[in-house]
Amino acid sequence: MSIKLNVIDLPKDDYTGGKSTLCPGCGHDQISTVIINSAWENGLKPEMVAKMSGIGCSSKTPAYFLSKSHGFNTVHGRMPSVTTGAAMGNRDLTFIAVSGDGDSASIGIGQFIHAVRRNLDMVYVLENNGVYGLTKGQYSATAVKGSKKKKGDINKHQPIDLCKLAVNLGCTFVARSFSGSKKQLTALMKAAMSHKGFALIDVISPCVTFNNNDESLRSYTYVKDNDLELHAYDYIPTYTPIEGIEIPEGEFHDITLFDGSVLRLETIGSDHDPTDAVAAMAALHQAEIDNKHVTGLLYFDSNKSTAIEDQCLVDTPLADVPDEVMRPSAASLEILNTRFRGKD
Amino acid sequence: MGKFDYVISIGGAAGQGIATPGNILARLFARQGIHMYAYNAYQSIIRGGHSFLTVRCSNEQVRTHGDVIDLLICLNQDTMDRHLEHMRDGTAVIYNSNTINPGEPADGVQLCPMDVKELAGKGANKLMQNTVAIAVACQLIGVEFSALEDVIDFQFSGKSEELVAENVRIAKGAYDHSAATFQPASQQMPTGGEALAVWTGNQAFAMAAAGAGVKFYCAYPMSPSTGILHWMAANARELGIMVRQVEDEISVICMTIGAAHAGCRSMCATSGGGFALMTEGIGEAGMMEIPIVVVDVQRAGPSTGVPTKTEQGDLWQALGASQGDFPKLILAPSSPLDGFQTIPDVFNLTDKYQLPAIILSDLLISDETSTIDPKLLDMHPIIDRGELITEAGEEAGSYERYKFTESGISPRALPGIPGYEHVVASDEHMPSGILISDEFTHPHKRRAMMEKRQQKMTGLLAELPPPVIMGAPDAEVTLVGWGSTADVIQESIEQLAAEGVVANHLHFKWMVPFHSDEATELLSSCKRTIIIENNYTGLFHRYLRGETGFTVDGHIRKYDGEPFKPKHITAAVQDQLAGGDAISVPYEEIIV
Repeated sequence: MSIKLNVIDLPKDDYTGGKSTLCPGCGHDQISTVIINSAWENGLKPEMVAKMSGIGCSSKTPAYFLSKSHGFNTVHGRMPSVTTGAAMGNRDLTFIAVSGDGDSASIGIGQFIHAVRRNLDMVYVLENNGVYGLTKGQYSATAVKGSKKKKGDINKHQPIDLCKLAVNLGCTFVARSFSGSKKQLTALMKAAMSHKGFALIDVISPCVTFNNNDESLRSYTYVKDNDLELHAYDYIPTYTPIEGIEIPEGEFHDITLFDGSVLRLETIGSDHDPTDAVAAMAALHQAEIDNKHVTGLLYFDSNKSTAIEDQCLVDTPLADVPDEVMRPSAASLEILNTRFRGKD
Repeated sequence: MGKFDYVISIGGAAGQGIATPGNILARLFARQGIHMYAYNAYQSIIRGGHSFLTVRCSNEQVRTHGDVIDLLICLNQDTMDRHLEHMRDGTAVIYNSNTINPGEPADGVQLCPMDVKELAGKGANKLMQNTVAIAVACQLIGVEFSALEDVIDFQFSGKSEELVAENVRIAKGAYDHSAATFQPASQQMPTGGEALAVWTGNQAFAMAAAGAGVKFYCAYPMSPSTGILHWMAANARELGIMVRQVEDEISVICMTIGAAHAGCRSMCATSGGGFALMTEGIGEAGMMEIPIVVVDVQRAGPSTGVPTKTEQGDLWQALGASQGDFPKLILAPSSPLDGFQTIPDVFNLTDKYQLPAIILSDLLISDETSTIDPKLLDMHPIIDRGELITEAGEEAGSYERYKFTESGISPRALPGIPGYEHVVASDEHMPSGILISDEFTHPHKRRAMMEKRQQKMTGLLAELPPPVIMGAPDAEVTLVGWGSTADVIQESIEQLAAEGVVANHLHFKWMVPFHSDEATELLSSCKRTIIIENNYTGLFHRYLRGETGFTVDGHIRKYDGEPFKPKHITAAVQDQLAGGDAISVPYEEIIV
């Protein structure tokens, strides 16, 4: 039996990772699988991928995918700024970041906001379960109001919706998905990897240990039953895909991504226009009122420049620019000294 | 030609344009080859308050603002009221007689009233009083008018020709009036020296970093460190340095770490409050063994403290920066030039030993303007990036980021090299980079990794120069200092010598790792030791005692926000030698 190879002739084994230490059945492991499949099928060069994460259950997962890539586990909530610095230092790296709701909505929310604001070119996967797992199940800032986790009281606080926040900040790719929707998540993940700019995928990923009970509005069953899908999605790469693509029967329209690949949006129910920020906010707002989870590509903008472009950096990664080029020349020192002396 | 050593102070409110005459004087002196040191006592206010700029100039090297005022320029009544009492026989006071009442001067103080309305003409801009004052000051100390005219031209270059011409005309009128009316100053400025450059410590540190090959600099604005950001931003494009202003100091340090991890020499700077936010990141760099350089420009704390005043208050914050027990390099340069010359070494050492470095500067070093001979500046120091892997080699596929080695230094591969993929983590890890913080915790592995990291300190310490005693070997008293007090201690030693007291100087720059054995030996050889610090509890003495077991005989401490003057130290040493209290706290007479 021949081994399937991707567009850069690598087997899927080159994209897998270590064995997960998360709880059996954790939604996060599904997401890792989707990242592995998407990176393989999209043909990312493993050695040019930097897996970025913070602290928490979600942030452990880079150990479970792409073991032939570089990893950077930062301290809690600081992954966006480390990524910003690393991107400035080496613009050729592909950044795939995994964060959780504690990491991104509480301790690191300022960092999240500024990375979005800069339109840093990265895939930002938010593994969102509404609780702090590693510290035994406290509510996080994304916990739904009126929801109740396995132990403790009903959550009385308004959640922070990072998708709303991202749309508000002009994030160029805002999607919400569900760890149980493998097909949808895979299409969105591949599209995010093909996007130039900050691509947020907020994945509702139920915590099987602390937040999967009947009274929870984030349990696997509740999310599955209350998932409002905006569209059905297919990702069409620029090369011959490894798996065949189904041709949709109904209406659809295409979004062309930066690398030329296409995300095909098939209409199901009412059609959402992902270039309409107000529509995205309305969809999120209505879903919140109805205690539903709206999933799909909420907002997309292909016209914004990225943080790297805004900085007018040279094409060569800064880290690779030789010191002879980077260091001030004798001539520039002389200019400086002249300026200090005030003689021209 | 005798020694020329003359101090001009200019006082006014913020917004009255005190900076302009200060800059004009600085340039004027530098162009004539006159050494200059300016200390600006100011406040955190855009308009109002009291700013007091003291410019000391000399035909010899000068690195403190001295003890006295020879010429006082009052831009407002407040300055006259505050400082006339400091003027003694042989000095002069220049003031605008239209708006300022002179008060009662001491005998022998020459009052130089300027009728600014008359000299500048009706309807002249309020700032013209500055031009009048500078012209009178220059005339009094014997500066040729053409030299002043050149500097006015330069200072106002970019402004309209009319403005330049008007300033020159008013200056000439005031200059001639002064020559006809006032007695020359007690000292006349010599001419003919080779032109010097003018800089601040912040500029010196920034230039040194540029010379050392920094490619990434970021900061959140915080006094008194902002000068580094300004210099970097102003010169970034020309020098090819990536400079960013960032949302907070947490992001600043993390971006610095990210850029350093990607392979760029990276630096950031802040003051104590911002440094407090950075400490988490210092530990991150320590655990991940990523070389970064952080400058803490100390100001009077705690909390917001006194943003425009100096203090040596952050030593223990630097020592204790971040949780955990891990190697870091900490130093406190003694002057802008010392910082300039040391910073390239700091980058080489952080690269070689893969750890965070903390440079303790302070407001006194960073913010003050002084002249520097450009010939002393080497912008092309040696760059040694240590064991850095930038392309694939034999270890491809088997590379271990945190490999155990005799030196504790594990060759560092940059991300993006095939076969050298690895994980860096804030968690404890094995040589491969695999985390041992959760499922695989293992005391033996933890111990081995702790020892590997700490082993680097042995090599690092061996590369740092041990402390030395400067001056007479058998001195009656040894003055001990650290960081920014070096120059004022030196000047005090000269004053003591003139009084017949033989003192020498033991100064510390390298804080961590520390040459404990050498320091103990030196201290034990001293007849009497007095330690000088700009803080309340003797922070460095407590550290020194911890490292050496040595307790000094006396202390001179100042914690009022203002730096030591030489006479403060001289008087306190004399008092202690005569049997006075073992802790002296000099009184600050200039109230700003």
